Amino acid sequence: MIRFENVTKAYKGGTVALREVSLEIDKGEFVFLVGPSGSGKTTCLRLLLREETPDSGNIWVAGREVGHLSHWRIPYLRRNVGCVFQDFRLLPNKTVFENIAFALEVIGRPRHVIATQVPQVLDLVGLAKKRDNLPGELSGGEQQRVAVARAFVNRPLVLLADEPTGNLDPATSQGIMRLLDRINRTGTTVIVATHDQGIVDQMRRRVIELDQGNLVRDQARGLYGYGTATAEQPSSRAAE
Amino acid sequence: MSLSVDYIARETASNLWRNRLITFAAVLTVAVSLSLVGAAMLLRQGVANATVQWQHGVDVIVWFDPAANGAPQPVQHAIAHELLALPYVRSCIYRSQSFDLAEAHRILAADEAQALTTGTTPASERCALNNPNEAQAIWQQFRGQPGVQSVFYPGQAIRNMEDVTHVLQWVFLVVAVVLLVSASVLIVNTIRLAIFARRREVAVMKLVGATNWFIRVPFMFEGLAQGLMGAVLAAIAVLALHWRLDVLASANRQSVWHQMRMSTPDVVVTTLAVLAVGVLVGSLGSTLAIRRFLTTDRISA
Ligand SMILES: Nc1ncnc2c1ncn2[C@@H]1O[C@H](COP(=O)(O)OP(=O)(O)OP(=O)(O)O)[C@@H](O)[C@H]1O
Ligand SMILES: [Mg+2]
Repeated sequence: MIRFENVTKAYKGGTVALREVSLEIDKGEFVFLVGPSGSGKTTCLRLLLREETPDSGNIWVAGREVGHLSHWRIPYLRRNVGCVFQDFRLLPNKTVFENIAFALEVIGRPRHVIATQVPQVLDLVGLAKKRDNLPGELSGGEQQRVAVARAFVNRPLVLLADEPTGNLDPATSQGIMRLLDRINRTGTTVIVATHDQGIVDQMRRRVIELDQGNLVRDQARGLYGYGTATAEQPSSRAAE
Repeated sequence: MSLSVDYIARETASNLWRNRLITFAAVLTVAVSLSLVGAAMLLRQGVANATVQWQHGVDVIVWFDPAANGAPQPVQHAIAHELLALPYVRSCIYRSQSFDLAEAHRILAADEAQALTTGTTPASERCALNNPNEAQAIWQQFRGQPGVQSVFYPGQAIRNMEDVTHVLQWVFLVVAVVLLVSASVLIVNTIRLAIFARRREVAVMKLVGATNWFIRVPFMFEGLAQGLMGAVLAAIAVLALHWRLDVLASANRQSVWHQMRMSTPDVVVTTLAVLAVGVLVGSLGSTLAIRRFLTTDRISA
């Protein structure tokens, strides 16, 4: 589903955000991306969304090389790659329903599709009762659920989350992670970049760790901390 | 992919309303500048109409009575001789009745021209004078003579008008171009504000995979709408000006306004040109703004 081949990315000013990173994520996997601040997690996700292009190496998403995707194809990539952020990025003057419907409307989905898909996904995230509220009237956790619903309503192949629980208390964070887990069970590949040790340690999913742009760990059923789990064999890294 | 008319109309209208003050300024500037363009074009055509028969050194035209057409022409010959005999007449050309009917229509007063068909178009004698000021003397002498329908001479008025309108035309055009440039800048600015006001929506659109086309079209239409609204106002001004000139022309058949009288095609062409320039300025402004201020790949607002 996703493959990085010797990907190097340096920003203007010389910061090398990723250095010769190679990794492979299969369809339907759930992956945590961890590492200290500035290690390159967000850069990975931005490359997958084709917000940035790699300086060298190739990136494959769903069988298509996206590192050198022509401009007009970018929107079609993003329809297959949903994304949620720490700061939710909801439109404050649209209701919950409208926020989610907007995502379908602007990719030209017909009205009857919107009328069936949006209530479905509202049920999935447990916000059917709040459909006519504005984001400002919701708690942070509820807002993040709306953002997840918006990212998922078009049934993307991949769902990316950049510190989705960064603004939430632990209990609410767990709720969001359960939601992402439920989405993952529908067959959607989920990649979560996070600093949230509690969640990573609790969920015991594949962990990919970056440090200063280097891939330093890739572990199935891993934990958050450095080398805290040694029982498991590194997964796909070893296979290469 | 489907780009619903509904969506574009809604987005464009809400953008225009959100920025109504600066939109108003842009529309007004377009309207004023295009009114000047239109007026300059009308003036140009009017002057061309008024002067076409006075080119080639013709200073006076004696139209023969069409009743005499085809009949033995001793009367016309006599008049021609009489004209040539005058000391201040340099030369004369005889134009037969086959001469452009339309021109006769334009030059002759409406009631005189009404009865004209190709067969009854008057013939004329066109004379160049040594001293154009003597044209009035010819008018005095020949009007009302048997066989003469009417006598026309341009007079100082037309010559003056030519000079004045020539200058006026250029002044109008220069001012119009300056105003059009400011109109474009205003449109660029309104679109820039619209893009800024909607940066959150635009970021979400990019995030969920709306095409660039889809994101841009409402802004394109906003600029287009501003240009078009200004142009429509200007077109109304052009039509009003034409109507006013027509009233002046009918009020006095001997006036320069009558000589300048514009045909319907003249006015239609001017109106269409004004609308086209409006649309052009509008799309140019929005294209520039979109190029400059609407980044494509970046999702972050
Ligand atoms: N647009 C940019 N221009 C220049 N440098 C950048 C840019 N974005 C990121 N960087 C740099 O690239 C490196 C990696 O950044 P990145 O955002 O990928 O880190 P991160 O792992 O997401 O960090 P955090 O955990 O703090 O979110 C950092 O050193 C950062 O300063
Ligand atoms: Mg980050």
